[in-house]
Amino acid sequence: MMPANEAKPLVTFWGTRGSVPTPGRITEKYGGNTPCVTVRYQDIHTIFDAGTGIRNLGIDLIEEYNKAGKDLSLHLFFSHTHWDHIQGLPFFQPAYIKDTNLTIYGSPHKEHFLASILKGQMDFEYFPVGMSEFSADITIQEISEEVIHLGEVVIDWQEQVCHPGGSVRYRLGIGGKKIVYATDVELNHIFNPRVDTKKNRVLAQDYLDFVYNADLLIADGQYTEEEYQSKVGWGHSSIQLLFDISCQAHVKQLAIFHHDPQHSDKFLDELWMKSRSKFRSDYKKMDVFWAREGLTLAI
Amino acid sequence: MMKKTEKTVHTDQIDNKSKYDEGFLHSTTTEISRETFVGQIPIKQRACLEIIGFDEENKVIELGEEEVIIGRIPECGICLAVDNVSRQHARVIFRNEEYFVEDLDSTNGTYVNGIKIVKCVLRNSDQINIGGVKILFTEEKTLQKT
Repeated sequence: MMPANEAKPLVTFWGTRGSVPTPGRITEKYGGNTPCVTVRYQDIHTIFDAGTGIRNLGIDLIEEYNKAGKDLSLHLFFSHTHWDHIQGLPFFQPAYIKDTNLTIYGSPHKEHFLASILKGQMDFEYFPVGMSEFSADITIQEISEEVIHLGEVVIDWQEQVCHPGGSVRYRLGIGGKKIVYATDVELNHIFNPRVDTKKNRVLAQDYLDFVYNADLLIADGQYTEEEYQSKVGWGHSSIQLLFDISCQAHVKQLAIFHHDPQHSDKFLDELWMKSRSKFRSDYKKMDVFWAREGLTLAI
Repeated sequence: MMKKTEKTVHTDQIDNKSKYDEGFLHSTTTEISRETFVGQIPIKQRACLEIIGFDEENKVIELGEEEVIIGRIPECGICLAVDNVSRQHARVIFRNEEYFVEDLDSTNGTYVNGIKIVKCVLRNSDQINIGGVKILFTEEKTLQKT
């Protein structure tokens, strides 16, 4: 019989840092690698973003591949192609193994085709090894169908316009559980009462509907309220607003993600101590935590 | 181009020091060979689990590279004879020079800093909770005793 934990979707954080890798002692608890999250359900591996965190995922997968001797079948979804979300791909070891099947998905609304952007970062001006060195069977596709079916895993998606260049949020439905990956979006713009336009009301409702009742929402909370005031238009959300919206949408578990490079472990721990009574009293049904590298949860 | 005033400040500081500090010019410090700097202080990484408030005195278990099972039955490396703890509840493993705690499909779950986990890398001062028993993980570098 399969162990109970393995029968559930398993979410692992491989990289939680926004914008730029931040190695060092002061970030080792919450992590210094840029975004990469996996949702694994039995034999179905989905990966969200290829920030530097994907390097460690690759090492783990290779170990597993060597033990089990089974081909790797992986599905990699990009929220968008800013550096911090793609820069780990050249270091993803399974891409160099011929027994890997890797399907890459991304937005259809980019100015350049996804494949050319990924290939571009491995141009010899930037990196010594070209993408043609990948031995894996790789398919790169711009998502067009509204819903993607991977066995029992159903994935739908929406464009997020409030990020420079745009981004995509994904929602996985697995056996009645709902997991949402929605990073790199400026919710403060959409939910700003001073910009109460029809367009914003539609965007806000779309967001609330998409994340409604999620068992786990992994979401952009890069700034404090104070920090946000000098970062308007940079495409990221404030922690307090994210918390309020998640409560409104009856989210069950909120992983605050895409930590600002300036937010050390000490800073996040102190912010937690200041905020925890509010997090616990305002909406008792929601668990809130800082996304942390090296953490696996069962949903 | 560097501002002239900045450069003047530096020169003045050096000149002043040489005038007022005779020892600076006539040092009696002995030169030592470069080899002296090469010798290393033997350091080892020490990781411990401290079981808080379970016995009269907190019990501290030093971790090595072997897996440690935490559970209710006496065969476990760390035995917590409490009803809320599963027979084999969780394990601590050492992998790629890091410690992880992993839940072993326990009934009441394993928590790290209040989050219910399946597996989690451990960092200094992480608080593990197993069936209501609090365990503190600590890690430090100490002098290797010969």
